[in-house]
Amino acid sequence: MHKPDSVEAVLSRLIPSALSEGSQSDIEAMIDDLAGTPVEGVTRRKSRMYWMGGSGIAAAGVAALLVFQMASPAISPSVSKPAAIEPELPNVVMLDESDRIESMTDEGWQEDFDGTALRAMRLSAVQENRMLDEETGIVVRISQPRVEMLLMPVSTF
Amino acid sequence: MESPANAWKQWLAENGPRLLLFARGWSKSRQDAEDLVQDAIVRMWKYQEQHGGVPPDLPLVFSTIRFCGLNHHRSETRRRKREESVVYLNDFQDVWLDPALEEDEEAVIMRNAVQNLSDKLRDVVIMKFWGGLTFLQISKTLAISPNTAASRYRYALEQLGHELRRLKEVRHAQA
Repeated sequence: MHKPDSVEAVLSRLIPSALSEGSQSDIEAMIDDLAGTPVEGVTRRKSRMYWMGGSGIAAAGVAALLVFQMASPAISPSVSKPAAIEPELPNVVMLDESDRIESMTDEGWQEDFDGTALRAMRLSAVQENRMLDEETGIVVRISQPRVEMLLMPVSTF
Repeated sequence: MESPANAWKQWLAENGPRLLLFARGWSKSRQDAEDLVQDAIVRMWKYQEQHGGVPPDLPLVFSTIRFCGLNHHRSETRRRKREESVVYLNDFQDVWLDPALEEDEEAVIMRNAVQNLSDKLRDVVIMKFWGGLTFLQISKTLAISPNTAASRYRYALEQLGHELRRLKEVRHAQA
Protein backbone atom coordinates (compact mmCIF):
# COMPACT_ATOMS: atom_id res chain seq x y z
CA MET A 1 0.00 0.00 0.00
CA HIS A 2 1.28 3.45 -0.89
CA LYS A 3 1.70 5.77 2.03
CA PRO A 4 0.08 9.21 1.74
CA ASP A 5 3.46 10.92 1.55
CA SER A 6 4.52 8.69 -1.33
CA VAL A 7 1.27 9.49 -3.12
CA GLU A 8 1.93 13.18 -2.60
CA ALA A 9 5.42 12.68 -3.97
CA VAL A 10 3.93 11.35 -7.18
CA LEU A 11 1.37 14.15 -7.26
CA SER A 12 4.19 16.66 -7.01
CA ARG A 13 5.49 15.38 -10.33
CA LEU A 14 2.31 16.56 -12.02
CA ILE A 15 1.87 20.13 -13.22
CA PRO A 16 -1.48 21.73 -14.09
CA SER A 17 -1.81 22.32 -17.82
CA ALA A 18 -1.57 25.94 -18.87
CA LEU A 19 -4.38 27.90 -20.41
CA SER A 20 -4.30 27.77 -24.18
CA GLU A 21 -2.74 30.76 -25.91
CA GLY A 22 -6.11 31.72 -27.32
CA SER A 23 -7.81 31.62 -23.97
CA GLN A 24 -4.98 33.48 -22.27
CA SER A 25 -5.08 36.27 -24.85
CA ASP A 26 -8.90 36.38 -24.74
CA ILE A 27 -8.86 36.85 -20.99
CA GLU A 28 -6.11 39.46 -21.18
CA ALA A 29 -8.10 41.36 -23.81
CA MET A 30 -11.12 41.12 -21.59
CA ILE A 31 -9.10 42.50 -18.67
CA ASP A 32 -8.04 45.41 -20.87
CA ASP A 33 -11.67 46.01 -21.75
CA LEU A 34 -12.76 45.84 -18.15
CA ALA A 35 -10.00 48.21 -17.15
CA GLY A 36 -10.79 50.56 -20.01
CA THR A 37 -7.23 50.25 -21.24
CA PRO A 38 -6.87 51.29 -24.90
CA VAL A 39 -5.56 48.49 -27.07
CA GLU A 40 -2.39 49.33 -28.95
CA GLY A 41 -2.77 49.66 -32.68
CA VAL A 42 -6.52 50.11 -32.55
CA THR A 43 -7.94 53.57 -33.25
CA ARG A 44 -11.64 53.69 -32.74
CA ARG A 45 -12.34 57.10 -31.35
CA LYS A 46 -12.69 58.99 -34.59
CA SER A 47 -15.30 56.63 -35.95
CA ARG A 48 -17.38 57.07 -32.84
CA MET A 49 -17.71 60.78 -33.30
CA TYR A 50 -20.48 60.38 -35.85
CA TRP A 51 -23.12 60.93 -33.25
CA MET A 52 -22.15 64.53 -32.78
CA GLY A 53 -23.25 66.52 -35.77
CA GLY A 54 -22.25 70.01 -36.86
CA SER A 55 -24.90 71.54 -34.67
CA GLY A 56 -22.91 70.62 -31.62
CA ILE A 57 -25.78 68.76 -30.04
CA ALA A 58 -25.30 65.14 -29.14
CA ALA A 59 -27.37 63.00 -31.41
CA ALA A 60 -30.49 62.04 -29.60
CA GLY A 61 -31.36 58.40 -29.61
CA VAL A 62 -27.84 57.09 -29.84
CA ALA A 63 -26.97 57.46 -26.23
CA ALA A 64 -29.02 55.41 -23.85
CA LEU A 65 -28.00 57.49 -20.91
CA LEU A 66 -26.66 60.97 -20.55
CA VAL A 67 -25.16 62.02 -17.30
CA PHE A 68 -24.09 65.58 -16.92
CA GLN A 69 -21.59 66.57 -14.39
CA MET A 70 -19.67 69.75 -13.87
CA ALA A 71 -16.05 69.31 -14.63
CA SER A 72 -13.75 69.86 -11.76
CA PRO A 73 -10.55 71.71 -12.56
CA ALA A 74 -8.55 68.69 -11.49
CA ILE A 75 -9.96 66.49 -14.20
CA SER A 76 -9.33 68.06 -17.53
CA PRO A 77 -5.64 68.94 -17.32
CA SER A 78 -4.68 65.47 -16.16
CA VAL A 79 -6.37 63.63 -18.99
CA SER A 80 -4.45 63.17 -22.16
CA LYS A 81 -6.41 64.31 -25.17
CA PRO A 82 -6.70 61.73 -27.92
CA ALA A 83 -5.27 63.17 -31.09
CA ALA A 84 -7.60 61.27 -33.38
CA ILE A 85 -10.74 63.18 -32.46
CA GLU A 86 -9.63 66.77 -32.55
CA PRO A 87 -10.51 68.02 -36.02
CA GLU A 88 -14.25 67.44 -36.03
CA LEU A 89 -15.36 69.49 -33.05
CA PRO A 90 -12.73 71.92 -31.88
CA ASN A 91 -14.54 72.80 -28.65
CA VAL A 92 -15.35 69.28 -27.59
CA VAL A 93 -12.68 66.95 -26.35
CA MET A 94 -13.03 63.29 -25.61
CA LEU A 95 -11.60 62.70 -22.17
CA ASP A 96 -11.77 58.96 -22.18
CA GLU A 97 -13.72 56.03 -23.42
CA SER A 98 -14.24 52.54 -22.20
CA ASP A 99 -15.92 49.45 -23.49
CA ARG A 100 -16.54 47.02 -20.70
CA ILE A 101 -18.22 43.65 -20.46
CA GLU A 102 -20.93 43.56 -17.84
CA SER A 103 -21.75 39.90 -18.12
CA MET A 104 -21.39 36.85 -20.31
CA THR A 105 -23.98 34.13 -20.41
CA ASP A 106 -23.70 30.79 -22.09
CA GLU A 107 -26.79 30.41 -24.26
CA GLY A 108 -26.07 26.85 -25.21
CA TRP A 109 -25.64 25.38 -28.63
CA GLN A 110 -27.44 26.52 -31.73
CA GLU A 111 -27.50 25.53 -35.35
CA ASP A 112 -27.09 27.80 -38.32
CA PHE A 113 -29.05 27.40 -41.54
CA ASP A 114 -26.91 24.51 -42.80
CA GLY A 115 -26.93 22.63 -39.52
CA THR A 116 -23.48 23.62 -38.29
CA ALA A 117 -23.26 23.51 -34.50
CA LEU A 118 -22.48 26.86 -32.93
CA ARG A 119 -21.91 27.81 -29.36
CA ALA A 120 -23.83 30.96 -28.40
CA MET A 121 -22.63 33.41 -25.78
CA ARG A 122 -24.76 36.40 -24.82
CA LEU A 123 -22.56 39.32 -23.93
CA SER A 124 -23.79 42.46 -22.22
CA ALA A 125 -21.41 45.35 -22.73
CA VAL A 126 -21.40 49.05 -22.06
CA GLN A 127 -19.52 51.56 -24.15
CA GLU A 128 -18.91 54.74 -22.25
CA ASN A 129 -17.43 58.02 -23.45
CA ARG A 130 -16.70 61.20 -21.50
CA MET A 131 -16.63 64.42 -23.47
CA LEU A 132 -15.59 67.84 -22.27
CA ASP A 133 -17.12 70.97 -23.74
CA GLU A 134 -14.23 73.38 -23.33
CA GLU A 135 -16.45 76.44 -23.62
CA THR A 136 -18.82 75.59 -20.80
CA GLY A 137 -16.67 73.15 -18.82
CA ILE A 138 -19.47 70.63 -18.88
CA VAL A 139 -18.51 67.00 -19.00
CA VAL A 140 -20.93 64.71 -20.76
CA ARG A 141 -20.84 61.02 -20.07
CA ILE A 142 -22.51 58.86 -22.67
CA SER A 143 -23.27 55.26 -21.82
CA GLN A 144 -24.42 52.96 -24.56
CA PRO A 145 -25.35 49.50 -23.34
CA ARG A 146 -25.66 46.78 -25.89
CA VAL A 147 -26.23 43.08 -26.06
CA GLU A 148 -24.26 40.96 -28.47
CA MET A 149 -24.67 37.33 -29.35
CA LEU A 150 -21.39 35.61 -30.14
CA LEU A 151 -21.64 32.48 -32.22
CA MET A 152 -18.57 30.29 -32.27
CA PRO A 153 -18.25 27.22 -34.46
CA VAL A 154 -17.72 23.97 -32.60
CA SER A 155 -15.10 21.56 -33.87
CA THR A 156 -17.33 18.56 -34.03
CA PHE A 157 -19.05 16.36 -36.51
CA MET B 1 2.48 52.17 -9.71
CA GLU B 2 1.38 49.08 -11.59
CA SER B 3 -1.90 49.41 -13.47
CA PRO B 4 -4.78 47.16 -12.38
CA ALA B 5 -4.84 45.50 -15.79
CA ASN B 6 -1.16 44.56 -15.57
CA ALA B 7 -1.58 43.32 -12.01
CA TRP B 8 -4.46 41.09 -13.10
CA LYS B 9 -2.55 39.78 -16.11
CA GLN B 10 0.40 38.91 -13.91
CA TRP B 11 -1.96 37.23 -11.47
CA LEU B 12 -3.52 35.30 -14.37
CA ALA B 13 -0.14 34.15 -15.63
CA GLU B 14 0.70 32.87 -12.16
CA ASN B 15 -2.61 31.25 -11.29
CA GLY B 16 -4.24 30.47 -14.64
CA PRO B 17 -3.13 26.82 -14.75
CA ARG B 18 -4.42 25.99 -11.27
CA LEU B 19 -7.71 27.76 -11.99
CA LEU B 20 -8.03 25.82 -15.22
CA LEU B 21 -7.29 22.58 -13.39
CA PHE B 22 -10.03 23.25 -10.89
CA ALA B 23 -12.44 24.31 -13.64
CA ARG B 24 -11.82 21.03 -15.46
CA GLY B 25 -13.70 19.25 -12.72
CA TRP B 26 -16.75 21.35 -13.55
CA SER B 27 -16.57 21.12 -17.32
CA LYS B 28 -16.88 18.56 -20.05
CA SER B 29 -14.01 19.84 -22.14
CA ARG B 30 -10.96 22.04 -22.00
CA GLN B 31 -12.74 24.78 -23.93
CA ASP B 32 -15.62 24.76 -21.48
CA ALA B 33 -13.18 24.97 -18.59
CA GLU B 34 -11.41 27.94 -20.13
CA ASP B 35 -14.77 29.64 -20.63
CA LEU B 36 -15.52 28.93 -17.00
CA VAL B 37 -12.28 30.57 -15.91
CA GLN B 38 -13.06 33.60 -18.05
CA ASP B 39 -16.58 33.82 -16.69
CA ALA B 40 -15.25 33.67 -13.14
CA ILE B 41 -12.66 36.36 -13.81
CA VAL B 42 -15.34 38.73 -15.16
CA ARG B 43 -17.34 38.21 -11.99
CA MET B 44 -14.25 38.60 -9.85
CA TRP B 45 -13.31 41.83 -11.57
CA LYS B 46 -16.70 43.34 -10.82
CA TYR B 47 -16.53 42.12 -7.25
CA GLN B 48 -13.01 43.36 -6.68
CA GLU B 49 -13.91 46.81 -8.00
CA GLN B 50 -15.59 47.30 -4.64
CA HIS B 51 -12.52 45.96 -2.83
CA GLY B 52 -9.66 48.00 -4.15
CA GLY B 53 -9.53 46.54 -7.65
CA VAL B 54 -6.68 44.20 -6.78
CA PRO B 55 -6.59 40.59 -7.99
CA PRO B 56 -8.64 38.29 -5.78
CA ASP B 57 -7.56 35.62 -3.32
CA LEU B 58 -7.54 32.10 -4.67
CA PRO B 59 -10.20 30.66 -2.32
CA LEU B 60 -12.67 33.23 -3.59
CA VAL B 61 -11.89 32.41 -7.20
CA PHE B 62 -12.23 28.68 -6.61
CA SER B 63 -15.57 29.34 -5.02
CA THR B 64 -16.65 31.50 -7.96
CA ILE B 65 -15.56 28.89 -10.49
CA ARG B 66 -17.59 26.33 -8.60
CA PHE B 67 -20.59 28.65 -8.65
CA CYS B 68 -20.19 29.30 -12.37
CA GLY B 69 -19.74 25.57 -12.91
CA LEU B 70 -23.03 24.86 -11.21
CA ASN B 71 -24.74 27.39 -13.47
CA HIS B 72 -23.14 25.84 -16.52
CA HIS B 73 -24.20 22.43 -15.34
CA ARG B 74 -27.82 23.54 -15.33
CA SER B 75 -27.46 24.80 -18.89
CA GLU B 76 -25.73 21.57 -19.87
CA THR B 77 -28.62 19.50 -18.62
CA ARG B 78 -31.01 21.40 -20.85
CA ARG B 79 -29.04 20.65 -23.97
CA ARG B 80 -27.62 17.28 -23.08
CA LYS B 81 -29.75 15.47 -25.58
CA ARG B 82 -28.26 17.45 -28.45
CA GLU B 83 -24.71 16.93 -27.25
CA GLU B 84 -25.11 13.18 -26.92
CA SER B 85 -25.03 12.91 -30.69
CA VAL B 86 -21.83 14.94 -30.96
CA VAL B 87 -18.41 13.34 -31.02
CA TYR B 88 -15.47 15.44 -29.93
CA LEU B 89 -12.53 15.32 -32.30
CA ASN B 90 -10.06 17.31 -30.28
CA ASP B 91 -10.13 15.61 -26.92
CA PHE B 92 -7.72 12.79 -27.65
CA GLN B 93 -4.83 14.61 -25.99
CA ASP B 94 -6.97 16.48 -23.56
CA VAL B 95 -5.33 16.09 -20.17
CA TRP B 96 -5.60 18.10 -17.00
CA LEU B 97 -2.11 17.58 -15.66
CA ASP B 98 1.26 17.20 -17.32
CA PRO B 99 4.04 15.03 -15.90
CA ALA B 100 7.10 17.10 -15.10
CA LEU B 101 9.28 14.36 -16.55
CA GLU B 102 8.81 12.36 -19.72
CA GLU B 103 7.98 8.67 -19.46
CA ASP B 104 6.99 8.98 -15.83
CA GLU B 105 4.66 5.99 -15.61
CA GLU B 106 3.61 6.64 -12.03
CA ALA B 107 2.75 10.24 -12.78
CA VAL B 108 0.65 9.29 -15.79
CA ILE B 109 -1.23 6.70 -13.73
CA MET B 110 -1.74 9.25 -11.00
CA ARG B 111 -2.99 11.85 -13.46
CA ASN B 112 -5.71 9.52 -14.67
CA ALA B 113 -6.56 8.53 -11.12
CA VAL B 114 -6.97 12.18 -10.10
CA GLN B 115 -9.27 12.83 -13.03
CA ASN B 116 -11.35 9.80 -12.06
CA LEU B 117 -11.79 10.77 -8.43
CA SER B 118 -15.29 11.71 -7.36
CA ASP B 119 -16.08 15.41 -7.64
CA LYS B 120 -16.01 15.97 -3.90
CA LEU B 121 -12.63 14.35 -3.40
CA ARG B 122 -11.08 15.82 -6.51
CA ASP B 123 -12.05 19.39 -5.61
CA VAL B 124 -10.34 19.06 -2.24
CA VAL B 125 -7.20 17.49 -3.69
CA ILE B 126 -6.86 20.18 -6.35
CA MET B 127 -7.43 23.05 -3.97
CA LYS B 128 -5.11 21.57 -1.35
CA PHE B 129 -2.30 20.27 -3.49
CA TRP B 130 -2.15 22.55 -6.53
CA GLY B 131 -4.07 25.52 -5.11
CA GLY B 132 -2.08 25.57 -1.87
CA LEU B 133 -5.17 26.26 0.22
CA THR B 134 -5.42 25.31 3.87
CA PHE B 135 -8.16 22.98 5.05
CA LEU B 136 -9.82 26.00 6.65
CA GLN B 137 -9.86 27.86 3.33
CA ILE B 138 -11.14 24.78 1.53
CA SER B 139 -13.87 24.33 4.10
CA LYS B 140 -15.06 27.90 3.53
CA THR B 141 -14.97 27.49 -0.22
CA LEU B 142 -17.01 24.29 -0.17
CA ALA B 143 -19.17 25.18 2.84
CA ILE B 144 -18.02 22.14 4.79
CA SER B 145 -16.17 21.74 8.07
CA PRO B 146 -12.36 21.76 8.12
CA ASN B 147 -12.45 18.21 9.49
CA THR B 148 -14.53 17.08 6.55
CA ALA B 149 -12.11 18.75 4.16
CA ALA B 150 -9.18 16.99 5.83
CA SER B 151 -11.01 13.66 5.82
CA ARG B 152 -11.78 13.97 2.13
CA TYR B 153 -8.15 14.72 1.41
CA ARG B 154 -6.91 11.71 3.35
CA TYR B 155 -9.53 9.48 1.75
CA ALA B 156 -8.59 10.76 -1.69
CA LEU B 157 -4.91 9.98 -1.06
CA GLU B 158 -5.86 6.48 0.05
CA GLN B 159 -7.87 5.98 -3.12
CA LEU B 160 -5.08 7.35 -5.28
CA GLY B 161 -2.54 5.11 -3.59
CA HIS B 162 -4.75 2.09 -4.06
CA GLU B 163 -5.36 2.93 -7.71
CA LEU B 164 -1.67 3.50 -8.31
CA ARG B 165 -0.79 0.13 -6.87
CA ARG B 166 -3.56 -1.67 -8.76
CA LEU B 167 -2.75 -0.19 -12.15
CA LYS B 168 0.97 -0.80 -11.72
CA GLU B 169 0.26 -4.43 -10.98
CA VAL B 170 -1.95 -4.68 -14.06
CA ARG B 171 0.67 -3.09 -16.27
CA HIS B 172 3.45 -5.27 -14.93
CA ALA B 173 1.31 -8.35 -15.43
CA GLN B 174 0.76 -7.35 -19.05
CA ALA B 175 4.43 -6.61 -19.64
